[in-house]
Amino acid sequence: MKAMEFNSGKIPVWCPGCGNFAIWNAIKGALADLELNGKDVVNVSGIGCSGKMLNHLRTYGFHTLHGRTLPVATGVKLSNHKLTVIVNGGDGDGYGMGAGHFIHAIRRNLDITYLVHDNHIYGLTTGQASPTTDKGLKSKSTPSGVIDEPLNPLAVALNAGAAFVARGYSGEVEHLKELIKEGINFKGFAYIDILQPCVTFGKKYSYEYYDERIYKLDESYDCTSFENALKKVWEKDKIALGIIYKIQKDEYTSLHPQIKEKTLLETTGKIRDISEELQSFK
Amino acid sequence: MTVLTWKIGGPAGFGIMSAGPMFAKALKRSGYSVQGYPEYPSIIRGGYNCYHITFSNESVFSVYKRCDILVALDKVVFDNEDITENMTVIADFDSIKLSEDIVCKKIHIPIKNILKENDFPDIVKNSIALGASAKLLGVDENIVFKLFEESFPAKVVNMNIEAAKKGMQYCENVIQNNFKPDDKVKDYLVMTGNEAIATGAIKAGVGFYSTYPMTPASSILHYLAGVAEKYGIIVKHTEDEIAGIIMAIGASYAGVRAMTGTSGGGLSLMTEGVGLAAMIETPLVIALSQRPGPATGMPTWTEQSDLKFVMNISQDEFVRIVLTPGDLKELFVMTFEAFNLADKYQVPVFVLTDKFLSESHFCVDNLEYDGLEIDRGYIFEGDESKPMDFFPRYKEFKNGVAMRVNPGTPGGLFKAPGNEHDDFGFVATDSKTRIKNQERRFRKENYIKDELPLPKLYGNENAEITFVCWGSTKLPLMEALKFTEKFNFIHFSAVNPINWEDVKNIFKGKKLVAIETNFTGQLASIIAEKTGIVIEDKFLKYDGRPFFVEEILDFVERGR
Repeated sequence: MKAMEFNSGKIPVWCPGCGNFAIWNAIKGALADLELNGKDVVNVSGIGCSGKMLNHLRTYGFHTLHGRTLPVATGVKLSNHKLTVIVNGGDGDGYGMGAGHFIHAIRRNLDITYLVHDNHIYGLTTGQASPTTDKGLKSKSTPSGVIDEPLNPLAVALNAGAAFVARGYSGEVEHLKELIKEGINFKGFAYIDILQPCVTFGKKYSYEYYDERIYKLDESYDCTSFENALKKVWEKDKIALGIIYKIQKDEYTSLHPQIKEKTLLETTGKIRDISEELQSFK
Repeated sequence: MTVLTWKIGGPAGFGIMSAGPMFAKALKRSGYSVQGYPEYPSIIRGGYNCYHITFSNESVFSVYKRCDILVALDKVVFDNEDITENMTVIADFDSIKLSEDIVCKKIHIPIKNILKENDFPDIVKNSIALGASAKLLGVDENIVFKLFEESFPAKVVNMNIEAAKKGMQYCENVIQNNFKPDDKVKDYLVMTGNEAIATGAIKAGVGFYSTYPMTPASSILHYLAGVAEKYGIIVKHTEDEIAGIIMAIGASYAGVRAMTGTSGGGLSLMTEGVGLAAMIETPLVIALSQRPGPATGMPTWTEQSDLKFVMNISQDEFVRIVLTPGDLKELFVMTFEAFNLADKYQVPVFVLTDKFLSESHFCVDNLEYDGLEIDRGYIFEGDESKPMDFFPRYKEFKNGVAMRVNPGTPGGLFKAPGNEHDDFGFVATDSKTRIKNQERRFRKENYIKDELPLPKLYGNENAEITFVCWGSTKLPLMEALKFTEKFNFIHFSAVNPINWEDVKNIFKGKKLVAIETNFTGQLASIIAEKTGIVIEDKFLKYDGRPFFVEEILDFVERGR
């Protein structure tokens, strides 16, 4: 399928200039480049503007509850590991409500790709502070300014043991597309934090803000070094884009002998002989 | 129509919970029908654990308050049990000094000395006591030794056999009973309610079970985890109950038969997930083992207090199936059928149990039935000619039900949204669509009703009073029925959705008394809502214990 063919035909309702258009294009481009068929792809969406991605892709889709993307994706992938599972959620969805699931999804290292549209604000609900909102920002829910420290989600992921940690930017579509391709190809939990200005409710994090600070990691950067990665995610003033950390770890489905040959979908759902079980109760 | 009761007690950590069920099995293998009931606190060491067995040569359904033979492994037993004159008490009376006013038939076994002389570790106390009990009740010692072989690591089997033999030396066969062992019973099964649920799920082809441990539902998780690889099931202990239910919904969406199980507190966390499953019409089976609450409540005790919770769980209104099985057979068959109902009607299906039913042991002749068949409902098989087309997954196919599609199917693309949606799963909020969907989804009830069992009358049709019960309360009533014809009872093995007009007919001309282990009479309240029949008389218990047989007989005699 060509990138265009991944359009669902539904007209997006994002604000003009929203980074989601770019992320949408990057996803479609990645799926096309990888020669994936939409029927073999499941997009799991969270709640928020990011979640609306679901409506615009010609793939299977699951629009779950707020914060609950990763458990859905885990259930889907373990049940039919032949499917390509992509997750789209926001910073509120994934780092607030879904923070617990994020840590545990990292522990499992299941072969799914997790895209977090990180705009440092709650857009859809009209501009409350998110877990990545800077201290001091005045928002509808924090009229005197945020007093909580912002979360550094990439540092959390690294320290939780993530095997693939990357950062993309909605202002760099081609670069983002390549990252998503790397993520899908990665055998394990591929986590990509995507910087994305909210053109309506975002204040500080504009395209100009990012354009002044971003730079792309190149071949001189060793992404297998944990120390390098930690330094990169704690950098001030500059913002590194690219694969920050990537190592090989046991992929989760491979640790389940039940699904070594066939998918769970293929092997279960049929009546079983339980005489051996019942014998043990005699 | 007699039973004997035996109980073993001691602090947590003494192995009461393995010795008790083992002795229940020994009695069953001797040809007696048994019922075993554990009581224990939520701690690892100390406190007071006990396991109570009722047995007879006739079918035994439930637990008595009475204890005929008490095995007291520690002084703590005497602080927790009412010792009566007629009680036979097996204990080390050298170590446990009793005040003079405690009178009972003592059987002294110098457990402490036996341990010391033979250099046995403390843990074999149980085996000494089981040896003594076997001798006392005429259980063939080889049955006990065989159970040791089956249950203990090989290297300690002989030590336990030696210990049991020592116990036997101090016991004559003194308890006379007129029970004639029944050879048929020797081949029966002794299992817990949760084991019946787990085996029912295995039979039904369950593929995915995910949850967070919570007493008294945890043993379903443990059982399935133990056989997961053998049967090719994926069993997950998730980070919390929210992930537990949502992961199961993900698995079900992918086409796999999925289930979760928990107790009330866990279900509180799962609440949003139940609504999600309903909205995206993804099949889901939920086993709920109730315990007293709210909050942490009494984790290891029993109550039937979550019926109205599941009847109304999650925001707004949607169809849910509520099954309330009352014994092992019903648990097994209804868990099996729960998967069929979930697949056919694409709604959440609850299988309710409680600590008493979940964790007690009961006797059953067999659970292998002919005629159990799997029905996965309507599934779209795909259209290769237009593989990338969207499919009207939420368009009515039949009886309010639409066709399911497993992701990966060509031409079956759709969105499964928590939002209200159009036929293809795209968000829709127009009034026409909303009305159409609500009416279609609720239309399923008309067809489910005809598949669910109506409440059933047990006992003499013309009895003076008719108890109305659901779930596990069936069991003490079955047991009490052996002694009197003054009452009969109506048992609901399913509560929603059922044909309430038929229920009215079943109730006709009867003096109804609601009997439930909760404070308000939840089924009675639902009956009033659905039929307008208000049951004024209620026999309710809410102390964390099931109804004991004596309590029901007292109530019937008093006539209230």
